[in-house]
Amino acid sequence: MENKAVQELIAKFNEGLADPSEVQLLEQLLEAGKVHLNQLTDLNQLYNQVVLLENAQPDLSVDDRFYKMLASEAQNGKAPVIPLYQRMAIAAGLLVCGFMIGYLLQSDSGKKEVTALSEQVLDLKEMMMLSLLEKESATQRLKAVSLTNEMDQVSDKVTEALFVTLNTDENVNVRLAALDALKPYVKSNKVRSGLIASISKQDSPLVQVALADLMVKIQEKKSVEALKQILEKDETPKEVKSKISESIEVLI
Amino acid sequence: MKALSDNALMVKVKNGDQEKLGQLFERYKKPLYGFFYGLTRQQDVSEDLIQNTFFRILKYRHLFREQVDSNGGEFRAWLFHIARNVHYDQHRKKKLPSDDLENWKDRVGHTENKASEMQQSEELQLLAVAMDKLPLEKREIILLSKYEDLKYSEIGEVLGCSEGAVKVKVFRALQELKVIYKQLERIN
Repeated sequence: MENKAVQELIAKFNEGLADPSEVQLLEQLLEAGKVHLNQLTDLNQLYNQVVLLENAQPDLSVDDRFYKMLASEAQNGKAPVIPLYQRMAIAAGLLVCGFMIGYLLQSDSGKKEVTALSEQVLDLKEMMMLSLLEKESATQRLKAVSLTNEMDQVSDKVTEALFVTLNTDENVNVRLAALDALKPYVKSNKVRSGLIASISKQDSPLVQVALADLMVKIQEKKSVEALKQILEKDETPKEVKSKISESIEVLI
Repeated sequence: MKALSDNALMVKVKNGDQEKLGQLFERYKKPLYGFFYGLTRQQDVSEDLIQNTFFRILKYRHLFREQVDSNGGEFRAWLFHIARNVHYDQHRKKKLPSDDLENWKDRVGHTENKASEMQQSEELQLLAVAMDKLPLEKREIILLSKYEDLKYSEIGEVLGCSEGAVKVKVFRALQELKVIYKQLERIN
């Protein structure tokens, strides 16, 4: 078919005058790549309007479900989860210790035993906390972090686990909770340097700002360099940059 | 730092770095949702379908094949191919409510609730309703070309037909859409 005839066919179609056999011919030309859809002005305009139609947005729960599924898949083949019977034993152990402490507190002679039992409770809580931190559910990991509030003192193992959570947990709320849980131990040099090191590992503005606030609160001048690095990153939001600049000014 | 291409991320997922699927999810959750919502008009169903699509990707990640000499579109075509199958399975299992022309005014109200400022014009509302009235396979092909601007060749991969056949399908779908739109315009 000659080019002129093709152009005439397109013009006829665009004017709405093409008969069924001509439409069929147009389809053949489209299929063969001799006519393009954008030459059919009416349909092209319609398509452009379709593109303008609002794109529906998914709910945030989609993210939650997806990341849970991903975590669950990633869990397969990873460190073994504490089996149910073991978890039940820990819970039962905590309960028995609680009763015994209550009983022994009633007599002065039991003070030594109380101390020993308190230590055992602490160990069990630590064990519980460390096992919960392995959970795929963010709620469970939050519970794990909050368990540290019930501990007067925590072992290095626990602070290390809290740092791992602070630096690597996929959920921002869990990371923030881990930061809160570490606050009571800022007097320790190890914890302070861990917190400074954590600044550069954070990509969430919320955690970055929370860390900057904490650095100001504890007047940790060594953190200035790490905070400056956040300022230099292009992807850091303006609000965060401004907040961190304020923190740096206070620290200098 | 240059972001990894879809194909490069999917190859990493295939090789065991499953967390990289998160980046693909972030890139495609909205177009996928738009695709499913356009087909089902049900929020919860569309969300389930996204979840099922990514679950299948993870389950069948070993089947992903990257072509060295391609322009990098395989992942998108593969993704929408899976998405289409997921929707087909769901549709077959539970026949989704189909619309009849008499209820179109309800749909205008529904669309209005969802509409952004741009969509407030009556024409666009009518067009949204007309889209809903299109037979599923025609709506699907328009949605495929709308979301993520899939090329006709990629849509051909998704549908298992030639690029030329896709053009004809889009042509027919747009023609029918125009007829329904005019029909609604007259009723209005």
